[in-house]
Amino acid sequence: MKGQKKTKRIGVFVCHCGVNIAGVVDVEKVAKTLTDYPGVAFSTNYIYVCSDPGQQMIIDTIKEKKLDGIIVAACSPTLHEKTFQEAARLAGLNPYQIEIANIREQDSWVHVDKDKATKKAVKIIKAHVEKAVRNESLEPIKVEVHRRALVIGGGISGIQAALDIADHGYEVLLVEKNPSIGGKMIQLSETFPTLDCSQCIMTPKMVEASRHPRIKLLTYHEVESVSGFVGNFKVRIKKKPRYVDAVLCNLCAECEKVCPQIVPDEFNMGLSFRKAIYMPFPQAVPGTYTLDAEHCLGLNPVRCGKCKDVCEKKAISYEMQETIFEEEVGAIVVATGYDLYSMQALGEYGGEKIPDVINGLEFERILSASGPTAGIIRRPSDGKVPKSVVFVQCSGSRDTEKHNPYCSKICCMYTAKHAMLYKHRVPDGQAIVFYIDVRTGGKAFDEFYQRTIEEDKVLYIRGKVSKIFKDGDKVVVWGVDTLTGKKVEVEADMVVLAMAMVKAEGVGDLLRKLKIQTDIHGWLAEAHPKLRPVESLNAGFYLAGCAHGPKDIPEAVAQASAAAAKVGDLFAQKELSHEPTVVPVDEDKCSGCAICITMCPYQARTLDTERGVVVVNEILCEGCGACAAACPSGAAQQRNQTDDQIFSMVTAMMKG
Amino acid sequence: MFEPQIMSFLCKWCTSAAADLAGTSRLHYAPNPVNLRVMCSSRVDPQHILYAFKEGADGVFIGGCHPGDCHYVEGNYKTLRRVTLFKRMLDDLGIDSRRLRLEWISAAEGKKYAQVMDEFTEQIRGLGPLQLNENALMKEEEKDE
Amino acid sequence: MKVHYYPGCTLKEKTTALDVSTREAMKCLDIELVEPEGWTCCGAEYPLTEEKIVGLAAPLRVLRQVREENGDFVITTCSFCYAVLKRANKAIKDDPLKHKRVNAYLRDDIKINALTKEKTTGFEDYNGEVRVLHLLEYLRDHVGYQKIRSRLKRPFGGLPIAAYYGCRLLRPAKDMDLGEPDDPRLFEEFLEAVGATPVDYPFKQECCGSYLSVSLPDAATEASYRVLRSARSNGAAAITVTCPLCFYNMDRRQDKIKEAFLDFPGLPVLFFTQILAWALGVEKTVLGLNQHAVPADDLFRDAPAPEVTL
Repeated sequence: MKGQKKTKRIGVFVCHCGVNIAGVVDVEKVAKTLTDYPGVAFSTNYIYVCSDPGQQMIIDTIKEKKLDGIIVAACSPTLHEKTFQEAARLAGLNPYQIEIANIREQDSWVHVDKDKATKKAVKIIKAHVEKAVRNESLEPIKVEVHRRALVIGGGISGIQAALDIADHGYEVLLVEKNPSIGGKMIQLSETFPTLDCSQCIMTPKMVEASRHPRIKLLTYHEVESVSGFVGNFKVRIKKKPRYVDAVLCNLCAECEKVCPQIVPDEFNMGLSFRKAIYMPFPQAVPGTYTLDAEHCLGLNPVRCGKCKDVCEKKAISYEMQETIFEEEVGAIVVATGYDLYSMQALGEYGGEKIPDVINGLEFERILSASGPTAGIIRRPSDGKVPKSVVFVQCSGSRDTEKHNPYCSKICCMYTAKHAMLYKHRVPDGQAIVFYIDVRTGGKAFDEFYQRTIEEDKVLYIRGKVSKIFKDGDKVVVWGVDTLTGKKVEVEADMVVLAMAMVKAEGVGDLLRKLKIQTDIHGWLAEAHPKLRPVESLNAGFYLAGCAHGPKDIPEAVAQASAAAAKVGDLFAQKELSHEPTVVPVDEDKCSGCAICITMCPYQARTLDTERGVVVVNEILCEGCGACAAACPSGAAQQRNQTDDQIFSMVTAMMKG
Repeated sequence: MFEPQIMSFLCKWCTSAAADLAGTSRLHYAPNPVNLRVMCSSRVDPQHILYAFKEGADGVFIGGCHPGDCHYVEGNYKTLRRVTLFKRMLDDLGIDSRRLRLEWISAAEGKKYAQVMDEFTEQIRGLGPLQLNENALMKEEEKDE
Repeated sequence: MKVHYYPGCTLKEKTTALDVSTREAMKCLDIELVEPEGWTCCGAEYPLTEEKIVGLAAPLRVLRQVREENGDFVITTCSFCYAVLKRANKAIKDDPLKHKRVNAYLRDDIKINALTKEKTTGFEDYNGEVRVLHLLEYLRDHVGYQKIRSRLKRPFGGLPIAAYYGCRLLRPAKDMDLGEPDDPRLFEEFLEAVGATPVDYPFKQECCGSYLSVSLPDAATEASYRVLRSARSNGAAAITVTCPLCFYNMDRRQDKIKEAFLDFPGLPVLFFTQILAWALGVEKTVLGLNQHAVPADDLFRDAPAPEVTL
């Protein structure tokens, strides 16, 4: 494919770089050879082009010789490309008309034969001339930014991110699907390693979030759909009917007393009951009752109506409807949290059929002073205080055969905490922990674990548990002590399984709506595992908390604040500036085959079914060129690296 | 001695950076490969490869990031698929598919880059010049504009 | 209808009760069981070792014979045989080397096999074409519980019976493909179909002791004891098995179990096919109950289910 060769005036500046280049490459000869090359209007060599005088020389030459493109043949572009682009701009030249030919790192520094190195330098520079002659002047793509953030998820991560973004001065919509914010952290009793009361440290943050002038708290809301792109998202949010006016409700609790419907209490992990009209927990934010329509006897027509009758404040209204509204935001923080792996999946541990085999969150509720047993450790089946409790780590984690291959990170610490707290409250009880490893990487973590063994006399046995079953009154645990090589059989009163952390239930649907990438386990995928942990590759989406992967509270908070800082970076820009070397579509050539659409990792390309051509969102396009290579008709060409340019460069490199 | 011409497409984020590192480390290798820097190895179209052979390349090299490390998420997988299929076509077309090499070289692997360049150059030297039948190529004047 | 049936050696010698009750039960369902000509021992576990590929020739010869007799599948009641035959099939499907070698052995074998009394005209490689079905699976999927229920002459009156799977029937789950090992329904559904009440107890797949009854009898005694005790303490009036070795360990050695564990009063052990046969109307005398060390006659009565004292 031949493109039009504009009659451009290209300037070639060959740098000596002292002796770095000139010691091997005959720079004078190179500059001279290029003088006669088609498209070159001026060619020279200079000792250090990156120096001030060197740059000034370039600027002056551009003006004098009326150059409309330059090649700087010197070191790697990674070093000075920006420098020369700046210089060119000062001379009135578009920065995208600058080409850097690497004749140092990839030529003079690596080759010994001077003749061959010189010939290679000529080829390289000629190729860049071919490219330069076809380069377009480009401007970075500007896009405006709505300086407003959406945070999805009202757990500790979502709350922290919302607070930080709001403190920066931007408005935040905090959407939470449950009637109250708080997530899983508010369900915890005490947190490791300080044994801080979880609710005591969290409720101030929850209240702050509800009172912050720039945070719009949207509880009992869900995200319906997201469209648009970074800086310009349109979000449709569904408001679920609470049937109670949150402002009028004064928490007198009369409605709860008269409600006839009894429902397992999710907050207490099913260990106690609530009514159909309920407050999830005493410190709920917002502090209001909610009528759970699914468990109410009936609202349409009204079958009961007792709660409304006794409500003094007239806060209850059965006519409330689900509404959907649209908001515009510039950034979205996804903080949807986690769930625990279902015990039903572990048939060998009873498959959730044994009442006294519980998971960590259930035990937290039992430990909690405001929980179903008022903080006294009682086992679910008969309320007896268990005198022998077995804790099983890695239940459903680190299992490559059937369950989850990854480590859930927090279980070693919370199991130590559970065992310790158990021993504090039942001093004559026996606590046994079956473990594979004990991972205590955080600050003061290992010291905490050592305390559990030394002070609280918890017995740690290294071995996996193969079977848990009920035998009469007891729960039998079959394990092994790999350090002595002996089988261990424990008749326990209660067993606490440290179940694996898994992606939050129902979040898959939401993430598909957001079109955000996850890994194979459903954890949000970060842009780079090492260097960009709080952003998604999908521009405008930020990750916080366990939605990104198992982590403990300090890490979740740190990540939330980091995500907020990144949102701040985005909002601090007057406009978003995006590299224009993207891959647009020549609509005359596009047949609408849509092959390029499947190539794009950023979903930047869509098919306009009416016109039968592909349309590119240039802001989402990152300019990798994968689509350009796949396009059968050549309609997709990368700006300033078109096929024509590549072909001409290849010719110059092979035949120059 | 026959000096093979080698056309080298290097991805900016990994292999080109490795080539730079080889330079900073002053490692020496054969001057035969000439580098064209692309944003991602997935920019390389089989057309470009064939064109290179036509223009005189005896060997074509493509350097990209290790699987899982692509700056653009999955570009290198696309390259892998294309090159795998294309090699079969090359053999069918009568071009020894060993003349096309795809290698994953990360930005930290300057030494590997130098070694591979030497290795590949020697391999192509052993295979000899490509010698595409000049008669099979259309003359410049006959080409449709 | 004629269906291929592989009894396995033990069913012809030590536990003919399982063989006879199977045949009689199937007769009631209009199924005639046909044994493949000249069948030999399945190899009982050893064919599944990695190195001794020749061992696979034993079970695969049987399956090939079924194919030669135009059978698509073969049913078996012994869970050991079932596991070996089924996994041998998979072994040659998964590993081309094993496939090649075993067929080479089979080819040699055919040349000298005088039993067929035919000159070999050609040899077609055996590729695992014949499906291996356990009778429980066959009853569920091919006969159907509906049909069984419609033919019941003596429903069991809800007698609580513990289904014992043993080690072979369900594991390894990927090879055996009979359901989730930790929450199986196959045997329980069968018991419900014949009018018995399946008992849930945690030892339904724990080892009965297997061959240890020969080499380390005390271990086998304890292993079987634990299974029986668990079944009984969860309300079972009997335990039903599908393997002659389990039967041996739990029935024939029950006296040893009682000696070692004085708190154990005993529990009758039945083959599931005896239950099926009885329920379908087969006479008690034909069930092979005289082979039981622990008397089980009382369970088979026309009167309502006996009281079960734990």
